[in-house]
Amino acid sequence: MYAYYVRLALKSFGRNRGLTALMLGAIALGIAVCIMTMTVYHAMSGNPIWWKNDRLYAVTMDNWDPTRPERPQYPDLPPAQLTYKDGIYLLGSNIPERKVLMYARQSVLTGGAAQRKPLPVSTRVTTSDFFSMFDVPFLYGGGWDSSGDQNALPVIVLSKEQNEKLFGGINSVGRTIRWDDHEFRVVGVLDAWSPTPRFYDLNNGAFSTPDDVYIPFGWTRTLEQYPNGGDTSCWRPEKLDTFADFLGSDCVWTQMWVELPNRASRERMQGLMDGYWAEQRKAGRFPRPRDNRLTNVGQWLKDQGVVQNDNRLLVGIAFAFLTVCLLNTVGILLAKFLNAAPIAGVRRALGASRRQIFIQHIIEVGVLAAGGALLGLGLGALGLWGVHALYVTNSQVDTVADITGGYQQLTHFDPISVFWAVVLAVVSALAAGLYPAWRIGRVAPAVYLKSQ
Amino acid sequence: MSLDIRPVVSSLLRNRTGAVLVAFQIAIALAVLVNAVFIVHQRIEKMGRPTRIDDANLFGIQIAEFTSRFNYDASMHEDLAYLRSLPGVVSASVSNSIPLGISGSATTVWTQPDSKGQRAQINYFSMDEQGLNTLGVPLLAGRAFRATEILPPVTLTDTSQFVPQLIVTQVVAQHLFPHDNALGKTVYDSRGNPATIIGIIDNMIGTGWGGYEGIDQVAIMPQLPRLYGFDYLVRTEPGKRNAIMRTVEEHLSTSNPDRVIKSVRSVEYYKKLLYRDDRNMGVFLITVTALLLAIASLGIFGLATFNVSARTKQIGTRRAVGARRGDIVRYFMVENGLITTAGILVGCALALGIGYWLSLQYQLPRLDLYYLVGGVLGLWIIGQLAAWQPARRASTVSPSVATRTV
Repeated sequence: MYAYYVRLALKSFGRNRGLTALMLGAIALGIAVCIMTMTVYHAMSGNPIWWKNDRLYAVTMDNWDPTRPERPQYPDLPPAQLTYKDGIYLLGSNIPERKVLMYARQSVLTGGAAQRKPLPVSTRVTTSDFFSMFDVPFLYGGGWDSSGDQNALPVIVLSKEQNEKLFGGINSVGRTIRWDDHEFRVVGVLDAWSPTPRFYDLNNGAFSTPDDVYIPFGWTRTLEQYPNGGDTSCWRPEKLDTFADFLGSDCVWTQMWVELPNRASRERMQGLMDGYWAEQRKAGRFPRPRDNRLTNVGQWLKDQGVVQNDNRLLVGIAFAFLTVCLLNTVGILLAKFLNAAPIAGVRRALGASRRQIFIQHIIEVGVLAAGGALLGLGLGALGLWGVHALYVTNSQVDTVADITGGYQQLTHFDPISVFWAVVLAVVSALAAGLYPAWRIGRVAPAVYLKSQ
Repeated sequence: MSLDIRPVVSSLLRNRTGAVLVAFQIAIALAVLVNAVFIVHQRIEKMGRPTRIDDANLFGIQIAEFTSRFNYDASMHEDLAYLRSLPGVVSASVSNSIPLGISGSATTVWTQPDSKGQRAQINYFSMDEQGLNTLGVPLLAGRAFRATEILPPVTLTDTSQFVPQLIVTQVVAQHLFPHDNALGKTVYDSRGNPATIIGIIDNMIGTGWGGYEGIDQVAIMPQLPRLYGFDYLVRTEPGKRNAIMRTVEEHLSTSNPDRVIKSVRSVEYYKKLLYRDDRNMGVFLITVTALLLAIASLGIFGLATFNVSARTKQIGTRRAVGARRGDIVRYFMVENGLITTAGILVGCALALGIGYWLSLQYQLPRLDLYYLVGGVLGLWIIGQLAAWQPARRASTVSPSVATRTV
């Protein structure tokens, strides 16, 4: 029976090729545009470490100027980074299960086996918990122990890409390499890892690629260099004549994250921050109202404006577009079905029930929806490829892939988006066909059996 | 000439569904069209904003020093002498950042010490005496820096210092001294160090670092950069930029083993990156809107075609009792006009509503009514064009059809 209906449907498509093509095209285009915008939106708003959303918290304290917020565009937010001294103080606490204090530097690698020319890289100077806290996968070796938080341990972790450039992708653990002309020993090589958005440090753009290499935070004092790979923001007119002055200043330039396993530890951490704040305030710091925050990743991405207004707008337009496509399909289906009403009338007269007529037509719609979905997936993939091209055309391969790298992630055809697109396609097309199929089921057979 | 609207209306009312569906498509199409065109126009204006520098002939070289053997003064002297000696180079300067690039520095100055008086946030370029000429920004008043006025780079032991002189853009000058000529006036940094404004330049676009707001609040400082890294900026004669970039990259990447050339890129490259999201948004909006209009007009066309074929017999009857071809065409055009007008009325309300919501939600300017008028006219014309061919076909129905059964 159903196979017969499918055959009827195909025959009906053959009768009205132009209209069928128009409907297929409309459904497919609507779905394709939705897939494109949803994929980009999903990647932008997605939480790349959702399984730790109730454990990971960004630490911020409002140490800013009493007369104005740090970022005029976010007047209600504290600075996104901490001062060195506040970070160091909080790092001393045992409340968090894991804690990370870090910043980015631009640096140069030399002495790799497969790399002749000096290689400019971005370096994350970080405490040792970084890898375990953010679930960073290792290909070879591992990180370093917490003695690196205070001491300048000459150990380095390479990203997978850098290990390929420097050592041709072999297990380079134990090899030595020169980082800004200091000798370092490779202790670990990461596997492919590219959280999108790069939630842990949004300074160089939320969709930039992760850092190239990682060294212990203990190097900060030894290097005596300003952090030139991120954002350093100062407000207080204070003396900055030595590096120690800088470290003791109210300039914010370090990022801090903590892992707090439960509510009790979260409250204790908040208590620690508030206590420290009160004590420092007595000494003349923290002139603004108290605003010490522990923010989970999901909220963090929202607060820091990672999803741009443009993308919300595009999703809205995509759905308006799909609506027009579906209205169009309803109109054409209705016209088409009613045009063939005499045939339905004959069927009814020969004993077909309303239900059967309805099922016959809804199957026709279903076949159309399936075709539209398939075509829409193809078009969507093509469209994403186009979006990708738009983002990377004018940026040839970069030495420091900081500018466009992450946009590749945005335009990946991810399975979740594809699944939803198919569901969207079939449900919306069926919904579009429901009314026409019902209408045709209601025709009175007698009218069509008259001489006309 | 009467348009005979009454019979058209009563026939439409008897067969509403198809017409209502088309009217809604037109309504949504109008709302999207008007707002999309409005947004695209804003983006085009933003992208077309004059940079007021010689951006077509400028390129930047990003340098990273990485050994303790690196001799800053000697290296800078040698590199700048080399760059300036190349035929086709107009001028070259060292700089802390590249205009329209993604990284930069900013500071705040006040018209009185102790952070009092008028205040301005400035996006600054630390350059040498060839800086202004290299940028190519017009000097409106005052003078450029002299070679003797260029300070050595800030080091770890004098980070609290400020420069004694500044050149600022007109917008900064007006910000600080709204009622006076800013030239020759003194401004103060947050520590109370004074600086004299010795020149006022046109409102050039600075760096995109720190957002697009206030991107033309720029100052030039007479100081060599180093603490956060440094770049060279080179201005060439028209048409010679790309060739010089290749020569320079080859020479500089081998001339000194204690520093590395991170990139050699044109300012146009950075400009494209700065406006990339705007350009892509524009491309996307235009594509989707064009497709939307195409689909809506196909919908109108489809409905009209269906109406014509469903009414073949009535048309024949009308023709048989004396209606002329023109009457038949007019009937379908009027029918389409009514549907389109209904859709447009709903669409106007929708367009204004969306425009208002967008202006609240995303701090966009309010929708300009000219766009609405344009959209209404455009959709009305599209509607009539889409109905034209089916209406013409209807007029060719022969009166003899009326006498046939089926």
